[in-house]
Amino acid sequence: VNYRRLDQAAHRGLTNVGGDPYSVATMERPFPRDVNQLGEVFDFVTDCFQTLGVDESHRMDVDLIIEELFTNLVKYNAEGTQDIVIGLERKDAMLAIELTDFDVHEFDITKAPPVDTNAPLSERTPGGLGIHLVTQIADHVFYEYDNGISRIKVHKRIGP
Amino acid sequence: MASAGSRYTSGSDREPFAIEIGPDGVVSMKGRLDASQVAKAEATLSRVEGSVVADLEGLAYISSAGIGSLVKTLKRLQESGDTMTLVNLSPSIRNIFHYAGLDQIFVIE
Repeated sequence: VNYRRLDQAAHRGLTNVGGDPYSVATMERPFPRDVNQLGEVFDFVTDCFQTLGVDESHRMDVDLIIEELFTNLVKYNAEGTQDIVIGLERKDAMLAIELTDFDVHEFDITKAPPVDTNAPLSERTPGGLGIHLVTQIADHVFYEYDNGISRIKVHKRIGP
Repeated sequence: MASAGSRYTSGSDREPFAIEIGPDGVVSMKGRLDASQVAKAEATLSRVEGSVVADLEGLAYISSAGIGSLVKTLKRLQESGDTMTLVNLSPSIRNIFHYAGLDQIFVIE
């Protein structure tokens, strides 16, 4: 997937870059860093699924990936003051999900300690489970950090 | 429900999260249990006492935050020797519990 750079211009709102139908199409939107924005986030995912032609059978996986990453950024990049940009891009059978956070410290989720899914209940803690679920559901998870901009990219296969 | 002619579920179509304890003591959950609904879930789950059955038939979505509220409740119940049994999970919800390794922790029927 040839990622289009998300910069401050992305904050202007929804964009849809289309060539051939669903060949390469991108949608992105900024969201205030608040867990109560999840309803708006899920509405955006609905718009993306319609515009990008993604089958609804992938909806729970994509919602879960985006919720876990979005709430993780809200929780752990608490010093951030700018909106979090969520972007979805479809290229053929691959859906790329990208979350970009601005003016924050580096927090590489791909280096998060693994969750022991065999641990007894007494040793279970909430931390890390969300990222673990993302890694279980996604095909690939990438992290980039450059000059205060934190970018998480997830690839999810949506077709043969 | 989705509008006629559309296979996509819009925001206004999504069933809001709801939780209640029935007269038989069964905890029923419906809709989407995401991070923004955890406080609502825990307000009800905190009132659960003794071994309990949670009917998730109407639960369309759950994230790690929602799972956390169930784990928190199970821990509290087990302190007094009680348990929580989850019933009527959809395949996708069951998968999430499996990925989390919680299908070995909860009794799932």
